[in-house]
Amino acid sequence: MPEATTQAATTAPGDARPRLPGGAPLARSPIRQPPPTAVVGHWEVSRRHTNAALRLADLSALAKVVLRAAPESEAAGALGVPFGAARRVNVVATRPAPQLVVGSGPDEWTVLGPVDTQAEIDAALLALPGEHPRSVVDLTHGRALVRLTGAAAPAVLATICAIDLRERSTPNGKALRSLVAGVATDLVRDDVEGTCSYLLHVERSSGQYLYDTLMEAGATAGIDAAGLPEKEI
Amino acid sequence: MIQIPCPYCGLRNANEFASTGEVKPRPDVATATPAVWRAYLYDHRNPEGLVTEGWYHRAGCRKFLVVERHTQTNEIRSARPAGVAS
Amino acid sequence: MRPVARRATPTSGRLGPRPGEVIDRARPLRFTFDGRPYLAYEGDTIVSALLAAGESVFSRSFKYHRPRGVLSATFFDPNCTVQVGEEPNVRGAHRRVRNGDVVSAQNVWPSLRYDVKAANQAVGRFLSAGFYYKTFIKPEPLWPAYQQVLKRFAAGGVVGADDPHGYYDHRYAHVDVVVAGGGPAGIAAALGAAEAGAAVLLVEEEPHLGGHLRYGGPEALRLLGELRQELADAKGIEVLTDSVATGRYDGNWIAVHQRSVPGATERLVKVRAGALVVAAGLIERPYVFAGNDLPGVMLSTAAARLVNLYAVRPGTRAVVLSANAEGDAVAALLAAAGVEVAATLDARRAETVVAARGHGHLSSVETSQGRVVEADLLVTATGWTAPTSLLNMAGVRPTYDEAAARFVVGAEPSPGVFATGGLVGDASPEGLVAHGRAVGARAAAAAGCGKGAVLPELSPGPHPALFRSTTHGFVDYSEDVSSKDVFQAAAEGYDSPELAKRYTTATMGPSQGKLELVNFLGVLAEATGRSIGELGTTTWRPPYAPVSLGALAGRPHEPVRYSPIQPYHEAMGAKPLVAAQWIRPDHYGDPDAEVRRVREAVGLIDVTPLGKLLLVGKDTPALLNQLYVNKWSALRVGAVRYGVMCAEDGVVFDDGVCGRLGEDRYLMSTTSSGAGAVWEWVERWLQTAGRHLDVYVTPLTTAYASINVAGPASRTLLSRLVEGVDLAPEAFPYMAVREGSVAGVERCVLWRIGFTGELSYELHVPAGYGLFVWESLLDAGSDLGVGPFGIEAQRIMRLEKGHLIVGQDTDGLTQALGAGLDWLVKLDKADFVGKPELVWQANREDYDRLVALVPTDERTVPPEASQLLGIDGDIVGRITSSRHSPTLRHPICLARLAHHLATPGTVVRIHLPDGRDVPARVAETLAAYDSEGVKLRA
Repeated sequence: MPEATTQAATTAPGDARPRLPGGAPLARSPIRQPPPTAVVGHWEVSRRHTNAALRLADLSALAKVVLRAAPESEAAGALGVPFGAARRVNVVATRPAPQLVVGSGPDEWTVLGPVDTQAEIDAALLALPGEHPRSVVDLTHGRALVRLTGAAAPAVLATICAIDLRERSTPNGKALRSLVAGVATDLVRDDVEGTCSYLLHVERSSGQYLYDTLMEAGATAGIDAAGLPEKEI
Repeated sequence: MIQIPCPYCGLRNANEFASTGEVKPRPDVATATPAVWRAYLYDHRNPEGLVTEGWYHRAGCRKFLVVERHTQTNEIRSARPAGVAS
Repeated sequence: MRPVARRATPTSGRLGPRPGEVIDRARPLRFTFDGRPYLAYEGDTIVSALLAAGESVFSRSFKYHRPRGVLSATFFDPNCTVQVGEEPNVRGAHRRVRNGDVVSAQNVWPSLRYDVKAANQAVGRFLSAGFYYKTFIKPEPLWPAYQQVLKRFAAGGVVGADDPHGYYDHRYAHVDVVVAGGGPAGIAAALGAAEAGAAVLLVEEEPHLGGHLRYGGPEALRLLGELRQELADAKGIEVLTDSVATGRYDGNWIAVHQRSVPGATERLVKVRAGALVVAAGLIERPYVFAGNDLPGVMLSTAAARLVNLYAVRPGTRAVVLSANAEGDAVAALLAAAGVEVAATLDARRAETVVAARGHGHLSSVETSQGRVVEADLLVTATGWTAPTSLLNMAGVRPTYDEAAARFVVGAEPSPGVFATGGLVGDASPEGLVAHGRAVGARAAAAAGCGKGAVLPELSPGPHPALFRSTTHGFVDYSEDVSSKDVFQAAAEGYDSPELAKRYTTATMGPSQGKLELVNFLGVLAEATGRSIGELGTTTWRPPYAPVSLGALAGRPHEPVRYSPIQPYHEAMGAKPLVAAQWIRPDHYGDPDAEVRRVREAVGLIDVTPLGKLLLVGKDTPALLNQLYVNKWSALRVGAVRYGVMCAEDGVVFDDGVCGRLGEDRYLMSTTSSGAGAVWEWVERWLQTAGRHLDVYVTPLTTAYASINVAGPASRTLLSRLVEGVDLAPEAFPYMAVREGSVAGVERCVLWRIGFTGELSYELHVPAGYGLFVWESLLDAGSDLGVGPFGIEAQRIMRLEKGHLIVGQDTDGLTQALGAGLDWLVKLDKADFVGKPELVWQANREDYDRLVALVPTDERTVPPEASQLLGIDGDIVGRITSSRHSPTLRHPICLARLAHHLATPGTVVRIHLPDGRDVPARVAETLAAYDSEGVKLRA
């Protein structure tokens, strides 16, 4: 798989949506992209810049692959991430940066990687040691993923989520699933350069709802929409 | 709101769970009489006291649990994964 | 009428500066009350400002429309409820005046001064206990008329349909200790808990902390200053003022209603606490005597609050009835504030008030010594009520202490639940602080912080038991219930508190018993010759204080789900249909035209919400055999099969197809509404009886955009875009599944099935590409006449084809054989979910059948759910689906019909909502269109 590159999208007359040269398939997030947009790999993404202290970015274009295996299996041992934790692990040995491995269930791991790397992650998970039954499913298209960043993020989240977000209960690197505004949501505390940050992901069709709800919940705290950050690509 | 001590996720609010009702063994399909089968389907003990009931952690780890709960005080005596001997 | 100019001067009744006053004399505010202008100071309540201006009547009572003035000068004052702008039921003795407020009296007509309904006083004997039950019962046909009458007499403000919505916020909080009540004991409890390292939420109903210290003497104010300083220095305490803990639920889940919040109208905080400390203090109890509701009669704490907090002189010539030190102090306070204290009656020496007299306002007081004293103020200090509500909600049962004449609780009545302050006992402010501090430390320890502390002694002191004088007066001001009504209820046999409460409605009004309960019990005890301890009390339930519906609702969070193709549906103006949270296109303007397009050319429908589960593992066939009623062991790779699931009671639960994608990979589809339930059903089986099975299930419902391409030209259309799949009928027959690319999008799943009855392919494409593939199909097929069709067209076509919809053509009692599925159910399998019931059903005849019905009148499309009538007019079934068929040009229906009539050719009558009956004939087959299935297999 080639490295994802950013290219300017062209816009057909009378159609605000970007198209790729030669009619190549274009993938879209379930969340409306705040302008300006560009095409990264196969995905139309927002490149909006904001300096707001509290920001919400749509990361749905990232690769997301789910592994199911017994917790005592060799494959699980090789990943080394227990249920309830999220760590960066070099799952795809050939990649320069490690992937975020989320212990998303007692027998379930979600691996998040750069745009268009799902096939590599998929292959790497299938190649993990051990013969135990396992299931590897590419859910890149099946999940909406957003990142809420800012010192006010816990307070904003506390208006729509009953989980105890205090440091002692939900420190950096903690992963859990609970209800956020009435929707089952995977929540990962994954701070960015010392600033509190959460990854939230839900099944794809609820993505716009989650995004809108977070923007509304953060309104009084000055939330702003951010594009897909360069370092996530 | 009561909290259920999920053996995987820890204490969580009950609205993350779905109750699956009283836990009881499924009669043998080959030999069950209508009376036995329908007692299995429709007759529930509903005591004032300890019940053994199923809860599904729908918005959490997605595991089915067997919970011993006191119906008067809501005290939860134990919670373990379904299908695992107590 | 007095001149308006005089009323607008806020000095009459206003005293000089007081050391503890909460008004800011440098910041005057303007507001109106019933159209007249008034001045207030920042910090004034509506009632304190009006009193300062010489007003004394703020409401008319609920039943008799008696004029009412200030009683307790707190949130729970039953007589001070007003309308502020568009907001009804505002507590005027609590709400701070805002500049420009438009305040009006409630429950008056035509005005507060000249109230027509006050005539009720004259007919008071007709409005006594049980009046509503006795009067508005017969004759029943008059109930609607009664309702109109009663509505006019109901208390309460006005809500306009067009009033703007407030911004009501919700928030969750997690703390170690919640302290409910910010008086000396509560503040100390918060400090004690925080010293132990606990995170504390201190909740106070008033806008300021301090409780009774705020309106006490210099010593009280000095102590309060020290406590406030300590609070400011403490770490880990969040203080919420003008907020109230309204309910305590299992696991110390505590609802806190914040009444004033920056940036929002109100907020409900849902707190999970390790420990709860209730420090609610004591509420002063009114005294029952004739005229006890006259404006000018008030509690001693009300007088103290008015003088010390708002610098309002509550009257000019006072009588004080006191049974305690607090009352004595208020007598001295009034004298010092320039009120002439004409008489002091000491209730400890059996001196009491017999009656208060006056027209519209107190003018004289008749004492037990036979004196009649002219006065415009009567202050009573006759005892206390313990607001134990939050403790009762925690399962605590306070006991009645005869000597103290109030209910009391211990400091640690229940695990994780604590009490301090007046609820536990009486002490000096310093004594209450010492107790509160220790209780706070112990609560922190219960929440896992620190080691606790030794609890100092705190117990209630003796107090005379005073409830009623020798005359009858009001027990419940908000409900207009007098002691006479309570006596009458007891005489009629309603002699327990729970019965008498409901019969008289005492304690059922807005103050919910906080002022009235103990008097009610005291009078009932007197009337029945029992003690309060013997009577017991009524149940305290949440909320402790009224909560607005807006605060309960919060901001609406109604999850909605969208398909990746939604931008197209919106752009085309599709009529939206909400189903199981999904927003789906019902049609694009003309469903009949959409049907014709599919029948004659090719159409596309977005079926993304269809449930899709990926099953991986070698034991998948065993799982399918257990969950479906038919057999799955022989399904070849590349084949698709229809399946039906039943519950253990044999009732049809869901249907769909399942295809074998590879050796150990299966893709199962479910109905759109059943997607979540089937997933859980599969998981449940795999985690319980099927633990030994090697199967993993992953929901892919929204990982794929699902597009059904239907119509005779569908193969031609797909041949232009599909790569890697041989579309020839022999290579890709009906009920087969293939994987390939569509419009350049790889890893798509195609299955050849047909809900519409036409040649059709269901494409499952990675969801991010859904819109791209949809638009590519429309572009590629323009010469074929391709276009979209919606749910309505699909429903018509499946009905023409006789395909059932689970939940529409079946109901919660429809077992599989009654759904026309006898051909599918394989009773020779050793086991499957629901098998025993279906075995027994197969041995019966008497169950309703699913049939197709054709009304003989071709113009009448009977509404769904119409009843079917037999020869005798008995109900023999109902229509489950009904449409006009644009293809066949006549109405077609599916129906559930009694077995003895379910033979083809039988004629039944459809009973229409307009009363007409139309005949209909049972059809030969469920399918009215292409019953041989030739088109499907083309």
